[in-house]
Amino acid sequence: MVKMTLIARVTDGLPLAEGLDDGRDLPDSDMYKQQVKSLFKNLSRGHNEASRMSVETGPYIFHYIIEGRVCYLTMCDRSYPKKLAFQYLEDLKNEFERVNGPNIVTAARPYAFIKFDTFIQKTKKLYQDTRTQRNIAKLNDELYEVHQIMTRNVQEVLGVGEKLDQVSEMSSRLTSESRVYADKAKDLNRQALIRKWAPVAIVLGVVFLLFWVKNKLW
Amino acid sequence: MNTENRNFPARPPPPPFSSSPFASAPPPGVVPPQSGGPEAVGFRPPARPFTPSGPPMAPPAGVMRPGQPPLVSQLPGSRPPPPSFPSTAYGPPGGGGSFQRFPTPPPSGVPPPPQTLAGHLSPPMSFRPQQPMAPVTMGPPPQSMTSGIPGGFASPSGPGFQQSMPGGPQPSYPGYPSNQVLRGPPKPFQSPSQGPPSAVSSYPPQTGGFAQHPGQQNMHPSYAPPPTSNVQGLVEDFNSLSLSNIPGSLEPGLDHTSFPRPLDGDVEPSSFAEAYPMNCHSRYLRLTTNAIPNSQSLASRWHLPLGAVVCPLAEAPEGEEVPLIDFGSSGIIRCRRCRTYVNPYVTFTDSGRKWRCNICSMLNDVPGEYFSHLDATGRRMDLDQRLELTKGSVEIIAPTEYMVRPPMPPIYFFLIDVSFSATKSGMLEVATQTIKSCLDNLPGYPRTQIGFITYDSTLHFYNMKSSLSQPQMMVVSDLDDIFVPLPDDLLVNLSESRNVVEAFLDSLPLMFQNNVNVESAFGPALKAAYMVMNQLGGKLLIFQNSLPSLGVGRLKLRGDDPRVYGTDKEYTLRVAEDTFYKQMAADCTKFQIGINVYAFSDKYTDIASLGTLAKYTGGQVYYYPGFQSSIHGDKLRHELARDLTRETAWESVMRIRCGKGIRFSSYHGNFMLRSTDLLALPAVDCDKAYAMQLTLEETLLTTQTVYFQVALLYTASCGERRIRVHTAVAPVVTDLGEMYRQADTGSIVSVYSRLAIEKTLSSKLDDARNVIQQKIVKALREYRNLNAVQHRLGSRLIYPESLKFLPLYGLAIGKSTPLQGGPADASLDERCAAGFTMMALPVKKLLKLLYPSLFRVDEWLLKPLADLDDLKDVVRRLPLAAESLDSRGLYIYDDGFRLVLWFGRMLSPDIAKNLLGADFAAELSRVTLQEQENGMSKKLMRLIKKVRENDPSYHPMCFLVRQGEQPREGFLLLRHLIEDQMGGSTSYVDWVLQLHRQIQQNA
Repeated sequence: MVKMTLIARVTDGLPLAEGLDDGRDLPDSDMYKQQVKSLFKNLSRGHNEASRMSVETGPYIFHYIIEGRVCYLTMCDRSYPKKLAFQYLEDLKNEFERVNGPNIVTAARPYAFIKFDTFIQKTKKLYQDTRTQRNIAKLNDELYEVHQIMTRNVQEVLGVGEKLDQVSEMSSRLTSESRVYADKAKDLNRQALIRKWAPVAIVLGVVFLLFWVKNKLW
Repeated sequence: MNTENRNFPARPPPPPFSSSPFASAPPPGVVPPQSGGPEAVGFRPPARPFTPSGPPMAPPAGVMRPGQPPLVSQLPGSRPPPPSFPSTAYGPPGGGGSFQRFPTPPPSGVPPPPQTLAGHLSPPMSFRPQQPMAPVTMGPPPQSMTSGIPGGFASPSGPGFQQSMPGGPQPSYPGYPSNQVLRGPPKPFQSPSQGPPSAVSSYPPQTGGFAQHPGQQNMHPSYAPPPTSNVQGLVEDFNSLSLSNIPGSLEPGLDHTSFPRPLDGDVEPSSFAEAYPMNCHSRYLRLTTNAIPNSQSLASRWHLPLGAVVCPLAEAPEGEEVPLIDFGSSGIIRCRRCRTYVNPYVTFTDSGRKWRCNICSMLNDVPGEYFSHLDATGRRMDLDQRLELTKGSVEIIAPTEYMVRPPMPPIYFFLIDVSFSATKSGMLEVATQTIKSCLDNLPGYPRTQIGFITYDSTLHFYNMKSSLSQPQMMVVSDLDDIFVPLPDDLLVNLSESRNVVEAFLDSLPLMFQNNVNVESAFGPALKAAYMVMNQLGGKLLIFQNSLPSLGVGRLKLRGDDPRVYGTDKEYTLRVAEDTFYKQMAADCTKFQIGINVYAFSDKYTDIASLGTLAKYTGGQVYYYPGFQSSIHGDKLRHELARDLTRETAWESVMRIRCGKGIRFSSYHGNFMLRSTDLLALPAVDCDKAYAMQLTLEETLLTTQTVYFQVALLYTASCGERRIRVHTAVAPVVTDLGEMYRQADTGSIVSVYSRLAIEKTLSSKLDDARNVIQQKIVKALREYRNLNAVQHRLGSRLIYPESLKFLPLYGLAIGKSTPLQGGPADASLDERCAAGFTMMALPVKKLLKLLYPSLFRVDEWLLKPLADLDDLKDVVRRLPLAAESLDSRGLYIYDDGFRLVLWFGRMLSPDIAKNLLGADFAAELSRVTLQEQENGMSKKLMRLIKKVRENDPSYHPMCFLVRQGEQPREGFLLLRHLIEDQMGGSTSYVDWVLQLHRQIQQNA
């Protein structure tokens, strides 16, 4: 069963449309939406060029296709037939390109094609029940092949970006800490100097003082 | 110090003319063109020219000199002339008042110094120095008196005053050393009526001198007895009303025709808007005073509310729409620290790489995409292409960060009572017809969604799936455990299910036309609607015809118990009885559901409880007591259509930011407060306004101006997420007088009425009225102290020009429906409904409701060739008193909610016949106004149409009443003539006397 549907532009991760009441009766829909968003971000950075992919996350699975710089993504139950899910996405893609094709590149504001949600809603209903004639026929369609589509885990996918992030974070931490180290070393150096010469200076000071006092008094 | 003293002395001499002298003196010499009336205004302009050249000015200065006396004292020999020069030199200190100001404005840095107004505003800064000096002033006065008395006093008193400009100006120059110069001022006196306003305005600039003015006035009465008789003629920096008993007359304040009345409607302080052209328009944001006190002590002496009234979506006339801006890839430019949006008052520095936030003065980086070079004056080169840097009101397209979910579609959900009374009254039919006729105009096509639930003792759901040809009805009768029988298709896309929806609306009245069920399972129905809607939010319209009687949220007939009225418990009747309602409202707000309540019953329906739903979800209450489709049908049709089709902002939040040191501390209106300063408004539109009050957090404000920024983040019906930003600035002043001068009666009244209505929810009506009265008394007393310390103005009520209508509006608040009289004067439901309505009304609308217009039309109707191009030509508003009504006339009373046509007893029968047709002699309660086949009737109908179109937010219903037709006349009209005494309430004259007495008590 389709849980949520999102359409975004790959180049910058800008969301273009989203299913209407997505996330209804989904307790942690926010978390999944967050995952989708980071997935889009990864895509926009150029990771995961595969144009069709399934990504497992918890009890659900994301399916997405990328075509014409637009990513169509849906989240389903794991039990939902992969074949149907991808046909659903194909349907969306065809309609979306037909309606909004030329404007996709120029869209500037988020959800510029939010009007598409009514179509998403309609199509979703068609795919809701796997046992309708129509869907069974689709399932049996030999021509549509989905076996080669790779399945990976969401941690893996997001992990790629995360690792890069971690490395850059670590390196930046390294620079900042080495700077701190340099500062501290300088400081210690100075303190050592003071410790070394302070007694001498004090003794000399006292001697001179005595001299001076002596000269003054006598 | 010196400067001040100068003023003092200076004024003393002029005393007789005092108020005017200042202003007037310069004009005569400099600007002859000015007419007598406008003195004040005229003055300033002249002053400026002078300022530049100190010495040449000297003649004008002469006027000032009187003030300089202090200097004189210091400088033994040289009196008038010498001092004058020094004074000019000092100019900046502000001693000279208008003159010095000139110099000052530039330093102050106020943008539009050229404008006269600007000048006024800027002065505040310059004034500060003066204030410290104030103490000194006391000393000098005596001198001035002595010096001034010789010539000036005698002459000025009688003739001078009455004489207008003519004599004064030229003589003044030469005579300037002498007192005559002073006479010049007299002009102001001459035009008391007109003069006061202008004079007042002129004074403001002289802020420094304010205190002194009073002194002069004092002199007036004491020195020149003759003038006193001429009290009304006096023009001063403040206005006053003579309340003394004029010898020989028994009635006090006989001259009540001269009392100020807002017959021109709401007058906004336009000078301020001109001074700050980059401020947002006053229809969006109105401060109660356009001068912010610089210290807590000053704020505490300002007894009026300090705050603002915001109407974020006010309808703009064509051509002035708020521009839409897309920041694109640079993202929205906001201050990193205080999150202020970039606005016309930010400054760019560091050759355009940084900008300084005007609210918190934080230095922010300018993003690369937004960078622009600065020209020599420090302005951005691309300023003319950046509307957000030139306009006070802009709308910004919000990027993804401002969305927690995709923009919602507009959703309208209807919860309709179909019990016996609903069908019998015809409400059901009118409502369904109206909804059907509006389907084409609902905003947000093609995403708009719509759904219905009807209820009597059971709930009826309707499946309106697009593939059906007829809606399917599902009945749920288990009220204790409500469930939604269908997961989808209760709320459907309108464009897809259009046919089903129309079929449903057509059949609904028929389905229930024989319904005899009188129960109302309102609570369960509300819960069901909530369950259907809480996925997406939207607007819930409730049509309620009787008291909720079944299931959760059922209400008792508590309003019928007369024993509670008048006791300390009375207020409990005005708050929701059952916490269910407040809880539901809170839940709905959380899920972006805004609720509008339409109530129709002729019996008690506990609007207090039902209205709570609207109050906390940013909605509105419409109340049609005793709804009959033949009478109220039109009203419901228009108002429901307006509600459905006006541009609405969905899932919005509003925040108002202000500069450091001040804070908005309380908010008043219909909304839910999500955090300390974030208003949650599930659905908001152009007819809603919100009031808020300020407090000073720091004992002393060091900045010269304070900025306000209102930001409303919302989803437009077209599915765009937008941020509407209004920015305004107000100067910080050190002088209480300046605050009074810049006060805005409209927004003060708006805040007061909301405070009073809130007060009625926790105490008796009397207390609420008293609170308002006390506040006004305190404010005027403070003003009196400010101006009248040393003189005897005992018999006069004084008030600043800007607040001249305040007493009257205060009286009107006390007589408005939510607050008037005792329990018998208005039914509890009417009170509550009016209260909820007034809590949301924008300023102009509220003022009209408080002081409705009354005008005579029979003469206009008889004029053959009168056309209606300008409503103003026809509508000459009259004071709201019975004596305005001539029994030979035909009058229209219009408060924005009702139109009452009053037929005088002696009105020519022709007119009545023409207008009413054959029924003209019948009892008017049974006659409805219809267009007859004659020119006069058509003309009247056009007028009424025009009046209605003028303000589409409500549809005023037309009532006809004939003079002497009791009790309708009293109920419809006489009771609303607020200047008259009726029942236990006071008349305008008594009210003013009462205020005056109280002001003096502790003065």
